[in-house]
Amino acid sequence: MRKSALAGWLLLAPSLALLGGLVLFPILYNAWLSLFDKHAFLPVQSFVGLKHYVYFAHDEEFWNSFRHGLIYAAATLVLQLAVGIPAALLLNEGFRGRNLLRGVVLFPYVIPTIVAIILWKWLLNDSYGLVNHWLVAGRVTDAPVAWLGKDWIMTSLVITSVWQFFPFVVVTYLARLQTIAPELYEAATVDGAGAGRRFLHVTLPQTASVLFVIVLLRSIWMFTKFDTVWLMAGDGGVSRYIRTLPVYAYARSFTYLQAGMGAALAVIMFLILILATAAYFRVFRHEALS
Amino acid sequence: MPTLSRRHFLAGAAGAAGAALLTRAPAAVGQQVRELHVWHTEVDPTTVKTIQETSIAEFERTHPGFKVRQQALGWGDLNTKLLSSLAAGSPPDLTQLNPFMTASLYVKNLLRPMDELIRALGESDIHEATLRLQYFDGKYYGITHAMGATYFCERRDLREKKGLKPPETFDDMLKLCAALTESGRMAFQMPGEKLYMGFVHPAELLASNAGTWVDAKTWRPQFTGRSWLEILGYLQALNKFQPAGWSGQKYLDTQAALATGKIAMSYLSGARAIGYIEKYAPETMRDPEHFAPLLRPRGPSGKLGTTTLDGENWAVFTQSKYPNEAFEFLRLFYKKEHYLAYCHTVPIHLTPIFKSMLSDPAYLGNERIKKWRPWHDTMLTALQQKRLLPLGFTRPDDNLLPFLAELDGSSIVADMVVEVMVGGKNPKAEAERAQKRAEELLTQLGHKRWS
Repeated sequence: MRKSALAGWLLLAPSLALLGGLVLFPILYNAWLSLFDKHAFLPVQSFVGLKHYVYFAHDEEFWNSFRHGLIYAAATLVLQLAVGIPAALLLNEGFRGRNLLRGVVLFPYVIPTIVAIILWKWLLNDSYGLVNHWLVAGRVTDAPVAWLGKDWIMTSLVITSVWQFFPFVVVTYLARLQTIAPELYEAATVDGAGAGRRFLHVTLPQTASVLFVIVLLRSIWMFTKFDTVWLMAGDGGVSRYIRTLPVYAYARSFTYLQAGMGAALAVIMFLILILATAAYFRVFRHEALS
Repeated sequence: MPTLSRRHFLAGAAGAAGAALLTRAPAAVGQQVRELHVWHTEVDPTTVKTIQETSIAEFERTHPGFKVRQQALGWGDLNTKLLSSLAAGSPPDLTQLNPFMTASLYVKNLLRPMDELIRALGESDIHEATLRLQYFDGKYYGITHAMGATYFCERRDLREKKGLKPPETFDDMLKLCAALTESGRMAFQMPGEKLYMGFVHPAELLASNAGTWVDAKTWRPQFTGRSWLEILGYLQALNKFQPAGWSGQKYLDTQAALATGKIAMSYLSGARAIGYIEKYAPETMRDPEHFAPLLRPRGPSGKLGTTTLDGENWAVFTQSKYPNEAFEFLRLFYKKEHYLAYCHTVPIHLTPIFKSMLSDPAYLGNERIKKWRPWHDTMLTALQQKRLLPLGFTRPDDNLLPFLAELDGSSIVADMVVEVMVGGKNPKAEAERAQKRAEELLTQLGHKRWS
């Protein structure tokens, strides 16, 4: 018995070592780092305990970044669902060219983020962008809109992100739609249910579990999204209006050169996500179990 | 047909391989190839090629067994990569640095003095604007590669049509901007990158208005001082004369907007802009009569408008693997024919640091310098009138501040400027917010000297 237990542990050892080395160690190292005042590159550090956490509790920049992150994650999540679910329902119908369209809809998701951002910044540029050209030519506006300026930069970021990430919703939701038994729809139709009722009473309950996963993953991913936000405004003047927590954490580590404070922000983000996920699981216990 | 035995074939093949190895390079026989790593910020392909064909070619010829690996990096990339390499203990043998970084590296004992090299090159011939930028405790720790300057690039013809002189003061500039803003064209555009609008330009404005980043003795930030408040008021007034989306656009967008007539002045320009003008401006306007440089105006509290001296300095690290060879390489870099070829790759933007070369016919004979002579003359005027300070400096002694890189990186200044200019917020309130953030930052970095 003892021999077989040892063999079991030996078989598990590679996985445990991998998990420990690749997942657990970085998290623990980051938490340890957050207790130090440490220069990002030079060997200068001193232990400060929880000082960074206390500082961020009163830091206006932290709360601004948190607010921007919430707005960005919520707006993009709602719009991804609003665009992605109808698109998936449409692509689940039989029509000519459906397979081609299913391929095309994936396009924004498979191109590199940098390409997507360059493309959108070019389209939205107020000096030479096509969007403004069309708006002015169509007399929708008298003057070009500063899409990349203070008042519109968050909207531009949300539009770009929704365009880039809604295909994930389409593909995941469509995969579940295709497994719903047609008999359920036939029975509902026989009972006199129209399209709306069929969606409410058949499609939604059947896809609740996948929606649960989509909402969970996309909220985490959007709240922690760095590349899209960073590439949209870089560290330019306008970045002030879309600076989210991941960008602030990056800035603290690599532009303020305060690695300890950057690590503390990463720990805070981690805790926020753990708490939000736990609350989400509690509220939607039924969907989580199914 | 004679047959070849396996033994003879193998012996012959081994002999041929050995001969090939012997003739390939001396380094292959008992001598390891040693690589001298040189990093710099001149990313222009012509400049890179010229360095390769002049200094590097001669160095490799005179130092058998050495191979020079040059790497051209943009400013932002250079700083990050450099600090990472220092942390890893393997910095390049020779690199260019932004002057505002040199002090923080010097105080950590990371730089080697280069007095011998500077004396060999001619200490008294090196222009005063650059000579002592990396001079700490009686020793030189850097030498500028070349001198450029940042200034406005104006549509001179438009200004002259309005009968206005180049602006001397902030007020003159506001009047000029009002006159140049017409339907379909704005007066000017500032680049939206943080490095410029949140560091380089604020430093110029402070220097032009008797202001400084911090108090010279206590290092306490000076955001709520009179100079800053005057500057913020000026910037807020200036903002209505530039395109609404400027804060989301970059330096290159401003050059394109100028060349295509959408603005009458680009806020940040240098002689590099000549390249854009020659490429994108209407053919009949590609000349200094239409496009001219304008030095910065002075503020109400200032005496002289100050412009940024764009010139990184070469530095050799204490951890460099081949420091002697790095200094040898620099001697070859500054050798007259090599250095002239280097400066001519981006004429005027790479103005020589040697006073004797500024009026040397060999330097001035370059076609682009001949055509764009007023630009060269503006550079000389700025040097003569002592209107140049290194990037991010508000006074010459800022080279002793070991926290300018962190201040630039923090976005504190950029946030304040953008909130006042674009957000229309109250300058005093934003200055107070910036003051609080800057005091916190310097305290966290261990540079608090005030009580």
